[in-house]
Amino acid sequence: MSGQNRLLAILLSVLAVLVLAVGGLSAVLLLSGSDDNGGPTGVRTGSGNSGDGDGGSSATGRLRLASSDPVTLDPHLTTDATSAEYIVEIFSGLVTIDRDLNLQPDLAEAWDVSADGTVYTFTLREDIFFHTGRRVTADDVAYSINRATSRELQSTVARAFLGDIVGAREHIAGLADDVSGVEVIDERTIRFTLDAPKPFFLAKLTYPTAFVVDQQQIESNPRNWTRKPNGTGPYKLQEWRLGERIVLESNERFYLGEPPLAEVLYTLAGGSALTRFENDDLDVASISINDIDRARDPSSDIGPLYSSWPQFSVSYLAFTTDEPPFDDVNVRRALGLAIDRAKIAEVTFNNMLVPATGILAPGLPGFTPDDKTFPFDPDAAREALAASKYEVQDGRLVGEDGPLPMVITEVGGGAEAAIDTQAFLEQWRTELGLEIEIRQTDFATFLAEQDAGELQMFNGGWIMDYPDPEDILDLKFHSTSELNDLSYENPQVDALLEEARTELDSEVRLDLYREVEQLIVQDAAWLPLYFSQAHVVVNEAVEGWFEPEMVIPRLRFVEVNR
Amino acid sequence: MTAYIIRRLLWLPIILVIVTFFTFAIARFGPGDPLLVVAGQIRDDEVLEQIRADRGLDGNVFEQYQTWLFDAVRGDFGESIQQQGFTVTEILLPKMWISAQLGIIAIITIFGLGIPLGLLAARANGTWVDPFVISTLLFLQAIPVLVVIPPLLWLFATQLDWLPVGGWDGLFDIWWIGGVIAVPIPDPHLYIPLVAFTLPGFAGVARLTRITALEVQKEDYVRTARAKGLSEGRVTFRHVLPNSLLPLVTVIGFALAGVLEGAFFVETLLGIPGIGRFVFQAVGSRDYDVILATTAIFATAFVVMNLVIDIVYGFIDPRIRVGASR
Repeated sequence: MSGQNRLLAILLSVLAVLVLAVGGLSAVLLLSGSDDNGGPTGVRTGSGNSGDGDGGSSATGRLRLASSDPVTLDPHLTTDATSAEYIVEIFSGLVTIDRDLNLQPDLAEAWDVSADGTVYTFTLREDIFFHTGRRVTADDVAYSINRATSRELQSTVARAFLGDIVGAREHIAGLADDVSGVEVIDERTIRFTLDAPKPFFLAKLTYPTAFVVDQQQIESNPRNWTRKPNGTGPYKLQEWRLGERIVLESNERFYLGEPPLAEVLYTLAGGSALTRFENDDLDVASISINDIDRARDPSSDIGPLYSSWPQFSVSYLAFTTDEPPFDDVNVRRALGLAIDRAKIAEVTFNNMLVPATGILAPGLPGFTPDDKTFPFDPDAAREALAASKYEVQDGRLVGEDGPLPMVITEVGGGAEAAIDTQAFLEQWRTELGLEIEIRQTDFATFLAEQDAGELQMFNGGWIMDYPDPEDILDLKFHSTSELNDLSYENPQVDALLEEARTELDSEVRLDLYREVEQLIVQDAAWLPLYFSQAHVVVNEAVEGWFEPEMVIPRLRFVEVNR
Repeated sequence: MTAYIIRRLLWLPIILVIVTFFTFAIARFGPGDPLLVVAGQIRDDEVLEQIRADRGLDGNVFEQYQTWLFDAVRGDFGESIQQQGFTVTEILLPKMWISAQLGIIAIITIFGLGIPLGLLAARANGTWVDPFVISTLLFLQAIPVLVVIPPLLWLFATQLDWLPVGGWDGLFDIWWIGGVIAVPIPDPHLYIPLVAFTLPGFAGVARLTRITALEVQKEDYVRTARAKGLSEGRVTFRHVLPNSLLPLVTVIGFALAGVLEGAFFVETLLGIPGIGRFVFQAVGSRDYDVILATTAIFATAFVVMNLVIDIVYGFIDPRIRVGASR
């Protein structure tokens, strides 16, 4: 009996020691000034005021979102959607895209295009200011274009988005001191001269590479200016704590009027977004496949808050088209005809994706609703395979030099392949008697091999950068494009793409792209698989929320009534 | 003793050079290219070539390593590629600090509860209490962290609304009693990660304590102590416990060195901005400078903790004297 009491005493004394230890540690931590969680070198960019009480501000409401750290907040260097989502709110450019994906004036109030389509003259608004209050002039625009295309900055997207301006390519290569095609006419007028008529030029200017940055700030703090960037957009970066949170506050000087939200809080550390949403810690959460049934059920607690939105993003199976056996269009067609994407979308993705009808997603200029892809038709698939120059033997295609390897590469590292890849393989096995191998690599390796053109067949995706078919059709399928990683070459496609580059009549131009899309799909260089959709739940207090098809400024349209 | 410590510390730079060089070589010779990961779907091969040249990514591996080493010695660990505009040190230190705080609290809890539970099991050897305690702890150890967290979140955060569903707000909040006395109380964000962290850990500590305590209890000096008529508590505390501690010191030492590594699942599921998730992403995106800096820090931590363990051994058990020729 007394032994038990002593044990109890031991346990209690250990607990006491534990409490003392915790107390001691806490004292140390308190003394070391850990009043917040940033630790020794937490990055604090806040201006110190909490956003309240700066008189004159009409904005109210606070929106709470989940995101992650931007790779960079330098608009001229950014290439990823996460960074761009912050950048389009903090900065702005001459033109922008609205909710209906129409081009709208932004820093420019008007522009004039010469009859031959090569000279663009922009007139800036009168009342445009940086967050610090300095007025934006044509010199700032010229500085920004020159900076984005400078050799020193090494932007990997400058050539793609600004390379149409005369002299930009020379400047990128370090052969010129500035971009000769950019001319400041007066304080409010700037002129761009292009190397040829480019009907998609304005669309490219909506991308952050063409946004305006503050020369004074960058030159006074070239290394660290992006930690508290001075932009012209509707929101100012108030605080950025790496890995923890980003706080944007409304810019009361914004030229289109102060945006309705006083503050936008992004939490960056991850965690279950839906759980935090249900706990009222977040106002918007995306829905994963595990929760989609509950979200779609109108009688569930989150059902009434759920919505889904089409995205400008297409996934595809791609082939290296100059290597056997996928150099034979009949083989590629057979593979396309043998997969039932509608069924896979339903069974494996619970209809969170929609089967693609082509390369161009609904809503893009040039989109046509008719299905241009191969239907699920096992008989036609077998016919196509029979028409190929290869023979099927023991599940493999045999060429002149014997059986050919067929390998599909995907990003992954699990014990099993992606569920849709498994479904494809099963259908190719049952419908065509083909055994195709799966190979998994990590993302970095996948990109390196894709870049080197080493992937025989792979599962890929493309997200639109600007709403113009040129962004996908010309970049991925023109035989001379750097991004054509499939060795795809069709002289007819090349000719049509080149014609479309300079065609000024918009309808004629889109018809050219429609024809190109048709040709590529029939050539089966890509087997388009699915168009993406965003699935979100949004708090009732949030008004005006939308999930755009691509990254565009949206926080100026959102209100929180709380 | 001092000479021994100095001799051991002299090995540190040599070990670090070997470890970082191999990490460096494996990273560089392995597949993948950090620039392609960051470049995204539209890329510019000419500019990428320029960046490779400027960053020294295209040269001889030995030269590249030399450059890295000289910079690192001067405290410059380079810049992250996946988090541009911040030095590696700026990114890593706050994250390590958060992971370390959580890890140290977890270790204190694991050992603070695991040791007494192990002693309890050893004392109760031969009764039902011993297997009951140990098998309960083993059961807890067997539940993966991924399975522990969601029900805790569901119950304590979503249903009862007692705790936040994630995030991090430091270790302690302060309660002011009468506006004068500051009482630190654990921050509510701490509980769920702490439980997730510690549940699988108790079993190992308790079993180790139990087995060494059982060994020690059979020793002559324990029998002698009992024969002298010492109370059971005195026997446990004066004779059994100190002699059972030795193997635990090794375990505690390595556990402490490991807290800098963070915990991927706990951090990811609960939104804690620690080091675990970041390093995982760094490896995925071939962020060389981040990978190397973390390797160097982890290696240093292990070498130093090894030394500390050896020194502590000497204090706990006078029979082991570091520095004496063994």
